[in-house]
Amino acid sequence: MLARKDELVLDRLIHEPGRLAILTVLSSVDAADFVFLQRTTGLTKGNLSSHLTKLEEAGLVEIEKRFVRKKPNTNVTLSAIGKQRIARHWDQLERLKSLSETSAQE
Amino acid sequence: MERVNETVERKQLESAAASYSYLKGLYLIPLGLLFVLAALANWEVGPLRHVWVFPAAALVVAAACLPIARYYHENYGRVRPSSRQQARGVVAVIVSLAVMVGGSLLLRSEASWSLDLPVNATAASFAVVMLASNAIQVGLKAHHWTIWGSVLVVGLLPVWDGADPSNVGLVLAGVAVMATGVFDHRLLVRTFGSAKVLNLRDGDAGA
Repeated sequence: MLARKDELVLDRLIHEPGRLAILTVLSSVDAADFVFLQRTTGLTKGNLSSHLTKLEEAGLVEIEKRFVRKKPNTNVTLSAIGKQRIARHWDQLERLKSLSETSAQE
Repeated sequence: MERVNETVERKQLESAAASYSYLKGLYLIPLGLLFVLAALANWEVGPLRHVWVFPAAALVVAAACLPIARYYHENYGRVRPSSRQQARGVVAVIVSLAVMVGGSLLLRSEASWSLDLPVNATAASFAVVMLASNAIQVGLKAHHWTIWGSVLVVGLLPVWDGADPSNVGLVLAGVAVMATGVFDHRLLVRTFGSAKVLNLRDGDAGA
């Protein structure tokens, strides 16, 4: 039986593909704006906006709204908790994948 | 261009985000032009024979970077690279400077320890620098190998006897920098989609 800290529990908030993509992109940079996130994830403006709101409410990202050259610009950074949770989530997915591969071989 | 599906490609997303800053190839076009202008100024061609013309031309070329920056910010967004990437950038600059200076002196110079080979040290050193810095920062793509590999081979051909070929090397490097910029930008468009796909000229107004 697996010890509690090693339990394979997937984080439902992060596991949603759109939010997983956003957090994965943010984990490879210091900060990214709304346009860049839309470019990399391919999400629509509405979907991206909705996912970011959920992630901000959960404390996984920090959102700064500002004006650049008189145009609105939304800058997003991953919070310390967000960094831990996305790293743990990918780790869990990798473990799940290797477990399923092992089971398939047996 | 939908990238989010039931199987989020981790490596693809991470590498796209990490390489964005280095794929803004349009910046390389004015930079390459500057190299060519420097060579023409050294040859004292046309108006470039006047000392003040090259700095003035350099300012105009630098000003051309402003609309390029605006184009990338408005169409592809703003990113602050991670501390790790920034550190790699600093390492790449230091390695590049060392290779450029050391390589040029070693291959062909007045220095007593120079091999004094009949090669184009400027072209060859710069090609090595570009291959090394691209490898460190973004990973070498096919066009980097093709363009800079060709410049390296041409630079190392033992046909550069006679007068100092540094200026020809500068022209070669300048043209290669511009070509790299075009291909880097094409790769960026292939990775992130055409500028027309998103119309965000009025700001993101998101979230």
